[in-house]
Amino acid sequence: MIPLNWYLALSAIVFAIGLYGFISQKNGIRILMCVELMLNAANINLVAFSTYNDDMSGQVFALFSIALAAAEAAIGFAIMVSIYRMRDAINLDELNLLRW
Amino acid sequence: MAYENLAFLIPLLPALAFVITFFVGKKTPYGGALIPIFAIAASFLISLLITIGLLQNPDQVISQSYHWFAILNLGILIDPLAAVMLTMVTFVSLLIHIYSVGYMSHDPAKSRYFAETSLFTASMLSLILSDNILQLFISWELVGLCSYLLIGFWYQKPSAASAAKKAFLTTRIGDVMFLAGIIVLFADLFKLVNGSIPEGVYLLRFDEIFSYIPEIAAMNATILGFEVSHLTIITLLFFGGAVGKSGQFPLHVWLPDAMEGPTTVSALIHAATMVTAGVYLVARTFPMFIAAPQSLIIVAYVGAFTALFAATMGIVMNDLKRVLAYSTISQLGYMMLGLGMGAVIGAEAVGVSIFHLVSHAFFKALLFLCAGSVIHAVGTHDMRELGGVAKVMPITAATMVAASLALAGFGIPGTSIGSTGFFSKDPIIENAYLFGEHAGNWFPYLFAIVAALLTSLYIFRLLFMTFAGKPRTNYGGHESPASMTVPLSILGILALIFGAIVVEPFNKFVSGTFVNNFVNMDIPALAEVGNYELAHHAGHEPLLILWMPVIVAVIGLLIAFVIYYQKAIDMSRFVSKDNSVYKLLYNRYYQNEIFTQLFAVKFVYEGLAMAGYHIDRFIDGIVNVISYLTIEAGDSFRKIQTGVIQHYSMAVITGVSLLVILIKLVMEVF
Repeated sequence: MIPLNWYLALSAIVFAIGLYGFISQKNGIRILMCVELMLNAANINLVAFSTYNDDMSGQVFALFSIALAAAEAAIGFAIMVSIYRMRDAINLDELNLLRW
Repeated sequence: MAYENLAFLIPLLPALAFVITFFVGKKTPYGGALIPIFAIAASFLISLLITIGLLQNPDQVISQSYHWFAILNLGILIDPLAAVMLTMVTFVSLLIHIYSVGYMSHDPAKSRYFAETSLFTASMLSLILSDNILQLFISWELVGLCSYLLIGFWYQKPSAASAAKKAFLTTRIGDVMFLAGIIVLFADLFKLVNGSIPEGVYLLRFDEIFSYIPEIAAMNATILGFEVSHLTIITLLFFGGAVGKSGQFPLHVWLPDAMEGPTTVSALIHAATMVTAGVYLVARTFPMFIAAPQSLIIVAYVGAFTALFAATMGIVMNDLKRVLAYSTISQLGYMMLGLGMGAVIGAEAVGVSIFHLVSHAFFKALLFLCAGSVIHAVGTHDMRELGGVAKVMPITAATMVAASLALAGFGIPGTSIGSTGFFSKDPIIENAYLFGEHAGNWFPYLFAIVAALLTSLYIFRLLFMTFAGKPRTNYGGHESPASMTVPLSILGILALIFGAIVVEPFNKFVSGTFVNNFVNMDIPALAEVGNYELAHHAGHEPLLILWMPVIVAVIGLLIAFVIYYQKAIDMSRFVSKDNSVYKLLYNRYYQNEIFTQLFAVKFVYEGLAMAGYHIDRFIDGIVNVISYLTIEAGDSFRKIQTGVIQHYSMAVITGVSLLVILIKLVMEVF
């Protein structure tokens, strides 16, 4: 059996990649994808702990968060499409409407 | 006593008349005059019936109390004192209202006039029948408000507007003292009931107040090293209020200026409403005064001094109404003196003083209405331009003579022949003599007797200059309409015979105010609390003393006759700017200058106002610094809002990381 730590290490690496992308990227779609990465890192953790503890609730939570991520992605992409239609850009640097 | 259920209508009817006249008065005949006239006539009828009932059975005091706010009440108290005042006020006010129909007939704003006089009467009536000091104070303030509105009735005239302001502000000094007195009184009473008021007890009701007099008198405070009883402080503060309203020295300055209103308003203020409120207050709280040693003497002194002081100014005024105004101040001084003499004669002082108040109301209303009749017909009130008015206005002249005889107090001592003023003023002067004999203090008597001489002098000077001789200028005159001459005649008859008929029963009736089932006071015992001993007088005075007031009145008449009718003495030598005494009197002892220059400018404007300005700047400064700091902080912090999503996420991540580290550290420590 693969030790738990490996899963945790994988999860941390995926989360770190997602976080880096979230901070460094300017393209809105890429940022959304990074959010997905971070959520999936959390899902890996949930499933790993669930199997390790022989408790199904972690996997149920993982299913929840996958469903939520799907919904979030649908809304997120819809917003991106409508922003693109109005402003002709999805580059977040140019979308600083809430600036002081 | 079926009328007692109607007692609440006495002030309510004129108050309703005020509302109706104010809103629809213009659309009714005579500018809405009929509504107040009917309302006040009804009030007069109720008051008269109640008074007659009380006369038959003096113990049947009407006392009704309704629960009001937490510990106070709204109530009606009609004892002999209140009953005679109610009857007098409604009667005089009714005559003045009828007279006003003629006098104000040319004024475009007459519905406002009738509305305001109606409210004036209503507030005075509710003042009189209050059964507690707080309700009295509320009506007291309403009376002040109405006087402000009516003195400034012709508000387009700057002098009228400023006279109204002056009256309001001057009496306000007294009102503040009165309020302070009520506060001290309430604090003391609250202490005496140990901070918990029994169910159904209204602390500020007169019977409750009076029942605590010995306890309050025993409380002492130290002021400037003197031990002063709380009761003395309270009564002096009350008297301060009375000084303001009744125009006693030094707060009398507003009263002559109040002549700026219509003459009928002057008659109302000087006879029936405003100025009598102060005397009534002292009479109402008389048991408190008699137990306060210094207060009553101060009342007597202020009264006697005011009587003389105002009379000296009365003899040099050239304006009809101003002479009468100073006469009012002087006569009110007599009333205060009469009350102050209670230190020697006890509760009888109330009867004597209130009798002078009532008789003064008749002849002073008459004097003012006569003056108004002359002004209405001739159009001037400068006595130097008048003369010989008697030929064109015989009824006015005849009633004026009656009023002057009453004011000067002509009569024959020892008999029942005499004008009303004789029967009301002479007992006061005689009591002042008793006071001198009893206490060895002759100043009140001296002041009173000299003031009586001057009273006779100035009123006959007015009479001779205005009504006798030949006209000095061309004026077209005519006798006034019946709505004016009828009230004049009624008052004229009263001024001549009222005193002789009612003086004995009246004094007994009113003096019995404090021995009924509502307020049963042992006045001699209270006098002992105040360290007095009441004198039992009856026919003690030598014959000369009884004759003295009449003798000085005749001397005054003769002097006026020689100077102003025969013109045997050329007054122009004295009446000049070079004569320092004349100048002093004519400039009214420079009171205006003292009040405005010294008090208003130096003290209030340069002192208080400047201090206020600097304090204001200091407080404003603190507020401004706080607002400046807030604005600056906001300005710098808003730069955080970059609108770049990466910056926000960085902040979130940094925050979460810090939080995790913090939790980790905390977990390790514990």
